[in-house]
Amino acid sequence: MKVLAMEFQKIKRKGIFTTVAVLLGVQCLWGLYSFGNMNGEKLAQGWYQCLYHFPILNAIMMPIIIAVLASRLCDVEQKGQTFKLLETIIPAETLFHAKYLCGVIQVVAITVFQVLMILSFGVIKGFGGPIPWDKILFYLISTIGVHVTILLLQQVLSLHFSNQMVPLTLGLLGSLAGLFSMFLPKGIGKLLIWGYYGVMMRVGLNWDESTRISDFYYVPIDWLGVFLLVGMFLAIYIYGSRSFARKEW
Amino acid sequence: MLLKTIRAEQMKLKRSPVWLAFFFLPILPAIMGTFNYVQNINILDNYWYSLWTQHTLFTCYFFLPPTIGVYCSYLCRLEHTNHNWNSVMTLPVPIPYIYLSKLFTASVMVIATQVWVGILFIICGKLSNLPGPVPPELFEWLAYGMVGGIVICGVQLCLSLMIRSFAVPVGIAMIGGIGGVAALSKGAGAFYPYTLMSIGMRANSPGGPMICTPGQLLLSSAVFLVAFTGIAVLWLRNKDVMAS
Repeated sequence: MKVLAMEFQKIKRKGIFTTVAVLLGVQCLWGLYSFGNMNGEKLAQGWYQCLYHFPILNAIMMPIIIAVLASRLCDVEQKGQTFKLLETIIPAETLFHAKYLCGVIQVVAITVFQVLMILSFGVIKGFGGPIPWDKILFYLISTIGVHVTILLLQQVLSLHFSNQMVPLTLGLLGSLAGLFSMFLPKGIGKLLIWGYYGVMMRVGLNWDESTRISDFYYVPIDWLGVFLLVGMFLAIYIYGSRSFARKEW
Repeated sequence: MLLKTIRAEQMKLKRSPVWLAFFFLPILPAIMGTFNYVQNINILDNYWYSLWTQHTLFTCYFFLPPTIGVYCSYLCRLEHTNHNWNSVMTLPVPIPYIYLSKLFTASVMVIATQVWVGILFIICGKLSNLPGPVPPELFEWLAYGMVGGIVICGVQLCLSLMIRSFAVPVGIAMIGGIGGVAALSKGAGAFYPYTLMSIGMRANSPGGPMICTPGQLLLSSAVFLVAFTGIAVLWLRNKDVMAS
């Protein structure tokens, strides 16, 4: 706990909370813009619209935000060359976990606020039908799952490379590939960590070419995707924590 | 003197792998966009123009601004570490040259990226057996895209000079790119630096006219470049970057 508190002290006045607030502000504005003018048929499918569009928004924004977050947490040590010093005081694994937990708390907060925002939009605008609590709960858990897996990968990269250009560039490329994979067959998305925002989506879209009308529908949970994501998390965690503990600084 | 400063910037980048980001970034949409185009050829029925949208839409709005942000952060990274601003600011080099040499270096990378985007577009179009010749507007799309990209370089370099963190300007670029969608939808695209590239490249309407006139685009770009150069030079002159 002390090491975790230290991590929060390190990011004090670093503008990380401002970044998070700006991010949520942008998402809120986007939501207001998209859902503000909804009426009739669109309002009736409001919950579907939210559960379809917010994962796309996450796929665009979150990987880069998470890469920035991880880079900020690790770069403070890279710049100050403090890893060796810290490892004489605390075990390397503890430092790794503290940095990771610090990032996890922030991405969980972002996701919880985002879900509260979706619920507020729904209640205020009067989306059709009851609140689909099960779908929203799955959205919350799966989104946190994808966020924390990407965060883990970015942290491992940011700790490995002293030059933060490499993890940020990889995050950018991954994000672009993940976004594209949402418009390709689902199997392709499962190959990429950044594509899991699409794999975990519980809403599908039927677009009628002749009438140009979109019709949303719920899809079952992709359990294979869930297991693959957990597998990826464990693989990155085992490799990342071990390589960090064994690294000579 | 300016040429010497530019040469110094090139030397700083020697053997740096930073160009790889710009090499790989257009390859992803080229492969995945072409695949998506081939899969949905019944809906995307405007041949070369539909393929262009697939190649450039997401990249222009969401990914090129942060990639330029990474490059600009990298160009300022050396100065931000180990108190190197002390050395740079005591050199007998006029202050504007420091910013302009970095802007020139970043612009060269944007120009090279646009050429690469064009080459990939032609290759993918030919491999997809698209009927008809390559659109004659391709050169225009790329040229105006370059101008818009150079404006983003100007903004990002200014931010990277002011903010010592590597990652924060990249995050700002991403939010700037997303804000561009809102600016475009409100008809203010020509007055927002992050949208000029997508307007120039005609990413969402390659067959139609530009949202603003080419003259407006060039004027807006010139105003932004002059303004951000001015801000950067004033910042370097007045703020104590030397002692950071």
